[in-house]
Amino acid sequence: MTRLLARPELGSVVGMVAIFVFFFAIADPFRQATSMGTVLYVSSTIGIMAVPVALLMIGGEFDLSAGVNVTASALTASMLSYQLSLNVWVGVVASLLFALGVGFLNGFLVTTTGIPSFLVTLGTFLMLQGANIAVTKQVSGQVATDNISDMDGFDTAKAIFASSFDVGSVTIRATVLWWLLFVAVGTWVLLRTRPGNWIFAVGGNVDSARAVGVPVRQTKIALFMGVGFCAWFMGMHRLFAFSTVQSGEGVGNEFIYIIAAVIGGCLLTGGYGSAIGAAFGALIFGMTNQGIVYAGWDADWFKFFLGVMLLFATVLNMWVRRLAVRR
Amino acid sequence: MPLIEMTGVGKRYGTIVALHDVSLRVNAGQITCVLGDNGAGKSTLIKIMSGLHQHDEGELLVDGEPARFGSPRAALDRGIATVYQDLAVVALMPVWRNFFLGSELTRGFGPLRRLDIDAMRRTTRDELARMGIHLGDVEQPIGQLSGGERQCVAIARAIHFGARVLILDEPTAALGVKQSGVVLKYVAAARDAGLGVVFITHNPHHAYLVGDHFVLLNRGRMRLDRRRDEISLDDLTREMAGGDELTALTHELQRT
Amino acid sequence: MTTPRSTARGLLAVAAVLALAAAGCSSEGGKQEEEKSDSGTAGVADTPRYTIAMITHEVPGDTFWDLVRKGAEAAAKKDNIELRYSNNPDGPEQANLVQSAIDSKVNGIAVTLAKPDALQGAVRQAVNARIPVVALNAGLEQWKAMGVTEFFGQDESIAGEAAGQRLAQEGAKKVLCVIHEQGHVALEARCAGVKKGFGGAGVVENLNVNSKDMPSVKSTITAKLQQDKSVDRVITLGAPIAITAVESAKESGAAAKVVTFDTNKELVGSIRSGDVQWAIDQQPYLQGYLAIDSLWLYLSNGNVIGGGQTVLTGPSFIDQTNIESVAQYAEKGTR
Repeated sequence: MTRLLARPELGSVVGMVAIFVFFFAIADPFRQATSMGTVLYVSSTIGIMAVPVALLMIGGEFDLSAGVNVTASALTASMLSYQLSLNVWVGVVASLLFALGVGFLNGFLVTTTGIPSFLVTLGTFLMLQGANIAVTKQVSGQVATDNISDMDGFDTAKAIFASSFDVGSVTIRATVLWWLLFVAVGTWVLLRTRPGNWIFAVGGNVDSARAVGVPVRQTKIALFMGVGFCAWFMGMHRLFAFSTVQSGEGVGNEFIYIIAAVIGGCLLTGGYGSAIGAAFGALIFGMTNQGIVYAGWDADWFKFFLGVMLLFATVLNMWVRRLAVRR
Repeated sequence: MPLIEMTGVGKRYGTIVALHDVSLRVNAGQITCVLGDNGAGKSTLIKIMSGLHQHDEGELLVDGEPARFGSPRAALDRGIATVYQDLAVVALMPVWRNFFLGSELTRGFGPLRRLDIDAMRRTTRDELARMGIHLGDVEQPIGQLSGGERQCVAIARAIHFGARVLILDEPTAALGVKQSGVVLKYVAAARDAGLGVVFITHNPHHAYLVGDHFVLLNRGRMRLDRRRDEISLDDLTREMAGGDELTALTHELQRT
Repeated sequence: MTTPRSTARGLLAVAAVLALAAAGCSSEGGKQEEEKSDSGTAGVADTPRYTIAMITHEVPGDTFWDLVRKGAEAAAKKDNIELRYSNNPDGPEQANLVQSAIDSKVNGIAVTLAKPDALQGAVRQAVNARIPVVALNAGLEQWKAMGVTEFFGQDESIAGEAAGQRLAQEGAKKVLCVIHEQGHVALEARCAGVKKGFGGAGVVENLNVNSKDMPSVKSTITAKLQQDKSVDRVITLGAPIAITAVESAKESGAAAKVVTFDTNKELVGSIRSGDVQWAIDQQPYLQGYLAIDSLWLYLSNGNVIGGGQTVLTGPSFIDQTNIESVAQYAEKGTR
């Protein structure tokens, strides 16, 4: 029992149940199975990014460029294949290299200069935000990319990144399954592998980790590249789900990923947290996001209610954890 | 042959001389105490021996061969382990994860290579028991242990991983009398196990309880280098407090 | 010595005094005057109560969308409709809102198609679920192909061209087109249209500003006008930006005149006083009203406004010649 209460994700589970019950009681559409498909989809688009962001936070760093990196990879893949008339898979692979490169650069700069990641990634965030719009306009003459749905390889890519299937009356999007896979992999890495042990150590006490021979630099760079990888994945989802990408999108999402990780029990100071918790955090966010709409609340108050819900979940989380420590 | 021998070692940071002309030996089964006030150069000395920094004067011999460590890992590979006072452990991590941090046991191959958690838990429990520490639960965060227990876990860890030289950075500084006693017992136990121990402290009483050899640093230079049979506790305490300078000061302040 | 009770009584007294003072100091205009001029409500339809979702790409807090919503609310009130308004400027997020409306089994959906590709899937889902969908404001070229029944709005590039032509007629030589949301398709289309309509009459230069930070909008435009004295017209793409541009022009001492797309209450005053030369109006109130009213007509009587063709709500010019007719409605906040 004590062991269970000490799990970082416990608070988020309680919060998730509370929010589920709340919207189940007040919002009629929330009770239908078909709506759950939408809720899960919205949660998965946050949750896929929340996993590497949580791992990075446990490792003691932030990545503010995560949101725009999603858009940047989608733009890279789309414009490269369209402008050069290549199979879209060429763009997919090239954008993977790009996104990993952004992650590597973040990690390299943070570990080399010793400047807090908050500042380094704020820099890359602004750079990418500007480059997204500027390069897109330069290349395609407009602020959105051209539709690539009739290009070679689009269908296979869509099948992987953006397909959906029906279970009874419920439409399940592929991202939900990918999300589950990423959470499983994240948890496995964190709890069952050497690098996982190192992640906890570099976030918990970087000097002592270094002193016992943990490769601090490599661990941190790998974490940033993990964020890059998932940003690429979400970028591909956006591209193949909608065939085109708006260059200004993704700004602000980085905070949502961080919020999901924090609700899921990650400490802002690093060294503590879990990938499963981040998944529950994303689910809380997704349920609140959709629940407010299903409940028919005034859209002007949307952000306000969202804030109340998140605050509620976080306070509950803290309260549960304190209860756990007291035992 | 000494495990570690330093001759005329010095280190500068830019124009600041942190350490100059320091010589000491670390022998197997002996405890070498390094004493000094804050800023005396103790931590620079540790950093050179443990591979965090490199010396730029003099020689560092390990088993009689010149050595320069590029990283803590390189020092560890030569059997030189360092236990730091405040950063010995990662407080939020379970005891067994701390014990094996950086040298985790794994099983399986390729992508299935995973931590051998059962073996690590068992080994941690056994190794600590062997040093007389009985923990009910090695799963608890190490931050919940007392300061003395944490130092002991770190020492047990170093011994388990085949350290021949154990560098202890102020292991008793933040501890009460009883806790210090526990730690000093394990320092002695490590010596008896045949390790060469470098015991860094600013407490001459603690040093004299276990030390075989005393080196006193002051502003980056060696002020004193004595074997145990060459110096008494009173002299050591007096030297530590300022030695001749203190005597001069005492005369000066004496009322006539 | 104060007891909690006497403290409360004291506070009450202070509040009463303040209220009296405030009443004594009441001024002309303000909220009260505005409410007096509000006309009575029309009768309410006796058709069954429908639920209709309106989902736009509004960036929260834009006066333009206020007018759209007011129009939609007026129609909803008249038609006995429960209106659920929601918005998100991010394409895929807006698509999720459409999906949520489908999940909620609404009777009809009114949606803006600013990012048609992103919304395509969700709109198709709605059509497949036999929920009638009308589009408004944006998506002129795409709405028919997506299975949407009606469209109310203006063609942004035609509106831009009209503005460009008028600028050319007025003898402008160098025009500054202020884009207040970098990366917004419709805004880029407007400036492109202005350029096309302006033709060989001179130069059109785009300037990006950040509409979320008005002081920076002001300083950016001021700096540009100080740097380039040859600019003789500034065209803004939203009413609040126009009012800021007027201040910038005054501050920089430049001779540039301000014209704009879209109106609001303050802008009507600026046109009347001559600070802003003219505005291109696309009648946002009408867009919101028609979108809801058309769905009601469709649901209750099977009518389709426009007979399957685009219903244009603009562009029309508002300048000093016709400002008075608009002004009385602007006072009420419906133009």
